Amino acid sequence: MTLSRRNFVVGCSAAIAAMTGGAVSGLAFAQPNDTTRRDILIVVFLRGGCDGLSLVAPVNDPFYRGARGELRVEESGQNAGLLFGNQIPGADFRLHPRATPLLSLYINRSLAIVHACGLTNGTRSHFEAMDYMEGGIPEGGVPANGWLGRYLNGINASGYLPAVAAGTRVPFSMIGFNGAAALTDPSSFSLSWNSWRYRTQLNEALDSFYTGDSPVHQAGRTTLTTIARINERLPRDAQGKVIPYKPENGVVYPGGRGASLGNALRTVASLIKMDVGLLAATVDYGGWDTHEGQGWIFPELVAGLSEALYAFYNDLWRYHDRLTVVVMSEFGRRLKANRSGGTDHGHGNVMLVLGEGIRGGKMYGVWPGLATEQLDNGVDLAITTDYRAVLAEILVKRGGYPAVDQVFPGFRGSQLGLAYSPGETIERPNRVNLPLVTR
Amino acid sequence: MILSRRRFLGAGATLAGAGMAGVPTRRASSAARQAHTQTSPSALPPIELIALNRMAYGPRPGDVARVQQMGFTAYVDEQLNPNDADDALCNEKIANARLQIKYSAGMGYPAVDEMRPLRTIVENWGLAQLWPLSKNPAYQERIRPVEEVRAATLLRAVYSKWQLREVLVEFWHNHFNVDAYSDSRISATWTLYDRDVIRRHCLGNFRNMLRDVAKSIAMAFYLDNAFSRDGPANENYARELFELHTLGQENYLNHLYNRWRDVPGALTGNPVGYIDQDVYEAARAFTGWTIAHGQTVSGNIRLPDTGEFAYVDLWHDNAQKRVLAFEIDPNRPPLEDGETVIRLVSEHPGTARSICRKLCRRLLADDPPASLVNALASVWLANKDAPDQIARTVRALLLSDEFRNTFGRKVKRPYEVVVSFLRATNADVTPNSNLFWQLQEMGYRMFNWGPPTGHPEESAAWLSTNGMLRRWNIINQLQSNWLGAATFDLPGQTPAGLTSRQIVEFWIARLLAIAPPQSTVDRLVNLMRQNGSADAPPTGSAEEIADRIRSVVTLIAMTPEFQLR
Repeated sequence: MTLSRRNFVVGCSAAIAAMTGGAVSGLAFAQPNDTTRRDILIVVFLRGGCDGLSLVAPVNDPFYRGARGELRVEESGQNAGLLFGNQIPGADFRLHPRATPLLSLYINRSLAIVHACGLTNGTRSHFEAMDYMEGGIPEGGVPANGWLGRYLNGINASGYLPAVAAGTRVPFSMIGFNGAAALTDPSSFSLSWNSWRYRTQLNEALDSFYTGDSPVHQAGRTTLTTIARINERLPRDAQGKVIPYKPENGVVYPGGRGASLGNALRTVASLIKMDVGLLAATVDYGGWDTHEGQGWIFPELVAGLSEALYAFYNDLWRYHDRLTVVVMSEFGRRLKANRSGGTDHGHGNVMLVLGEGIRGGKMYGVWPGLATEQLDNGVDLAITTDYRAVLAEILVKRGGYPAVDQVFPGFRGSQLGLAYSPGETIERPNRVNLPLVTR
Repeated sequence: MILSRRRFLGAGATLAGAGMAGVPTRRASSAARQAHTQTSPSALPPIELIALNRMAYGPRPGDVARVQQMGFTAYVDEQLNPNDADDALCNEKIANARLQIKYSAGMGYPAVDEMRPLRTIVENWGLAQLWPLSKNPAYQERIRPVEEVRAATLLRAVYSKWQLREVLVEFWHNHFNVDAYSDSRISATWTLYDRDVIRRHCLGNFRNMLRDVAKSIAMAFYLDNAFSRDGPANENYARELFELHTLGQENYLNHLYNRWRDVPGALTGNPVGYIDQDVYEAARAFTGWTIAHGQTVSGNIRLPDTGEFAYVDLWHDNAQKRVLAFEIDPNRPPLEDGETVIRLVSEHPGTARSICRKLCRRLLADDPPASLVNALASVWLANKDAPDQIARTVRALLLSDEFRNTFGRKVKRPYEVVVSFLRATNADVTPNSNLFWQLQEMGYRMFNWGPPTGHPEESAAWLSTNGMLRRWNIINQLQSNWLGAATFDLPGQTPAGLTSRQIVEFWIARLLAIAPPQSTVDRLVNLMRQNGSADAPPTGSAEEIADRIRSVVTLIAMTPEFQLR
C-alpha cells in the first residue's frame, strides 16, 4: 500500500483522535486543584557564558576601558551604549547598542537588571558551573535533580502540561519533575504511523508496551500522555486541520542569530495560549562562549536576545500579569580581553528579569568595582549577589512558594525587592504595542 | 529464552525518581549510580548478542551465527585489527554512493544540482585539494567534505565489517568534539580530521592522538588556539584540553585549592588533579600554535595560505611555566612547551581513569564499577608508549566479566536506533540530508554539536518526550521512504510458509536482544493473524499481509526492549 503524504497527515490526526481516549485514561497527572496564584516562570539560559560587561557595560570605568580596548561599549561615538535610568551607584552603565528592545522594556518598567551576580563557586568550567547553577547548589556534589524540578514538585504542579522544555531535551534545572516534556513544535507533536489500515491496533499496541516503571517505560508513558494532551488542545479548523500559530500584536519573532531563541519562545507562547496549565518553561540560547571574534558575534547575539524577548512579551500581552521571565548564564567573562579578539571565562555577570510582577525600570545589586583588588582572583568581576537571591525571591513572590529552602538547600540570602508580592498594588505598565525606543 | 520484564528491567526502576526526561549534564545522577547492579546471569542474552549490540551497531542477518561460530574472543581480536581491504560490501557502497549537491547561482558561480560521488573520500583527497574549498564562494561546496564524511560514516556504520572501529570512531569524534559547520576552514578539511586524526588513532596511542588533535585544523579553529598569542593567551583550548580531552571534570579541583602547591601531591610532582592555574599556564604553552591561513605575523610578513600547521615564535610566550607541578624552563625550542603539556596530561593517572570510565560508559553502562575502571586504567598507563594502547585497553574492557554479565543498561542514542534498525532489516541505505535532519531533530547532530562536550553519554539524556516520539516516528518515516534514505523489503525477507506466530518470532529474533514480555508478543501475533489462527499462515490479500509484516516490524522497533543495549 502506498500513501500520499496528504493522506498520511490526515490519517495521523484521525489516529491521534482515536488514541486520545486510551492514553488519557491512564492519567499521569491529576487535573489541577491548586488554587494558589502562580506566575508562569520562563527561564532563558544563555549557554556559554554571556559577557555581562558588554551587555550592561560600565562605560566610564577606567579599568574597563583599559582592559577591554576595542571590545568595549563606549560612552559616545559609533559603539555608544544605550543610556538608562535608575542605576546602581559605582559606574555609568549603558546597555549594549544592539539592545534597543531591552531598553524599551526597561523604560516600560517591565524589565529589571541585576548586576555583579552569579554562582559564588569559583569554577570557570562551563559544565560544572551549569551543573551547580541548575542544580541550585553552589558547591561540589551535584544533586540528582534541578532547582526548577524541586520547585515543581514542591508546589505539586499538576496541570495538564505544567512543565515544558522548548527544545529537544529537558535541561538539568527541570530534572526531577516527572511530568516535564521536551518539544520543539506542538503542531507536529504526533505519531506518524506508516500503516493506515492498522493504525488503531498500532496505537493500542504501542500504548500497551509502555506500562512498566523503568525509565524507558516512564518516558514512553509521559510521551504518550503529552501527545494526547497537546493534540486535544491544538486549535483546529472545522475540517480538523491544525490552525498554524499566529502571534498577536503584530509580533514578528526574529530570524538570524535570534531565530533559535525566537522559535523556542514562540513555542512557549503557543502553549501558554493553548491553556495547558503551563507553570514553568525553559529555553536555551547558545553561542555566548566568545573566546574569539567577540566583536562581530556578540552584537548579533544581543540583538537576537533583545528582539526575541521583546517579541515574546508583546505577543503575550494578555498574560503579562502571569508571566515572569528570567535570563541567566553560567558565568560572565574575564575583564581583560585576550589577544585574539575575545574574552575568556570569568565570574560575575548580569541577570535580567521581565514581567508585570517585577519592579522593572530599575537596576539592582551592588557594584564591586573593577580595580584589581576589587576583582575576583584579581581578574574577574566579583559577585555581590548570589544568583539564588534573584530566583528565590521570584519563587516566593511570583511562584507562591515560600519553602525556598527546599529548592535551594542552605541558602540564607536576603531578597533584593525586585518583585511584587501577591496583593501588592502593581504600577501597571503598558501592555499593548510597547513603543520601540530609538536611539 | 523468554524473560519477564521485571527481570531485565528491574534494576532500572530506581532510576525513575531521577527523572526520565533527560539530563544534559555530563554527570550521572547519584540515583543513576545506585542503579548499576549486576543483571542476573539467567536474564542475559547470549554473548554474541551482547557483543553485537555494544561493540557493533546491532546485528545484521548472519552476524550472530558468525560470531557464535568463531567464538567471542576471536571476534574481539578480529575487530581490534581492522583491515580495509577486507570490507567489500562497505567499500562498494561508498564507491557507488551519490550524494546530492544543490545550490543556486551566485556571484561568479553557476547553479549546481547533481548527484555527486563521495569524492573527497573515494579519491582520498589531501590538504592541497581540500583547503581551497574553504574559500569556495558556494556554501554547499565549502561544507561538501563534511556532508561526504557524514554519508560515509552512516554507510560504514550500517555495512562495515569493522563495527568496533566505527563505534570507537563515533566515541572519539564525540570525545574530541568539533562542530564541523562552525567554520568553513573546518568543514572544507573535515575529511582530514576524520581520516588522519580520529580514524588513524582510534585504536592507537592516546598521546599521539592528542598531539594530532592539537595540531589539527579542526581543533585549532574550533577552540580558537589558531588565534592564541602571548599577552594574554586564549584559554579556550587549554581549558577543554584538561576538562574534556584528558583529566576531566572529576579531576578539576578549583573549588578546593587556589594555589598549585596546595593540590595534594603537587610538591612531589604528582598533583592529583588540576586547577585554573594549570589552565592559564597551559594556555601560555600553546601560544603560537596555529594554522597557516595567510594571516599577518608582523609588518608585511604573512604566513602562507595553505592550511598547514604552523608555529609562530613571535606569538609564543617563551617565559617559564608550571603545569601540573612540572616546571618548564624559559626559552625552550619551538613546540616543546606544548609537547610537554600534551605528555603531562596524556600520562596523568586522572586521564587514564577519566577516559577508561568514559569508554565503559559507552560500551557497558552509565555507571561502571570503580574496580573495572581502575583495572582498565592500569592497562592504559602500562601501555602509555604502546602504538596500540587504546586497542589493548578496549580489549581488556570487552573481555571483562562486567561486559559479559550485564546488558540493557544503556539507552540507544537516536543514531544507534536508526543504524541498528537499518542493519537488522537489511535495508538498502542511501544517505541524504533528510535523514540527518531528522536525527538533528532528535538531538543527535553528527559533526554539528555546538558545545565541546560532544553528545551526552548518559541514557537519561535521550529519554525526553521529544526524543521518544521521534524515535518512534523515525521508524515509520524510514519505512515509508519519505526521507528517501532507505528501502526495505520486509515481506521478501520473511521466510515463506511461516505461521503468524512464527513470523512474529522471526522478526523479534532479528531485532531484539532482550526478549519482550508475553503481552507484547501477543499484541504482535494478534496484529499479524487478524481473524486467522496464530498457528496458521496469515490470511488476507498479499498487500494486507505485507502491511501487517511491516507493521509488526515497526512495532518491534518501537518497543522499550529495542531502545536498550
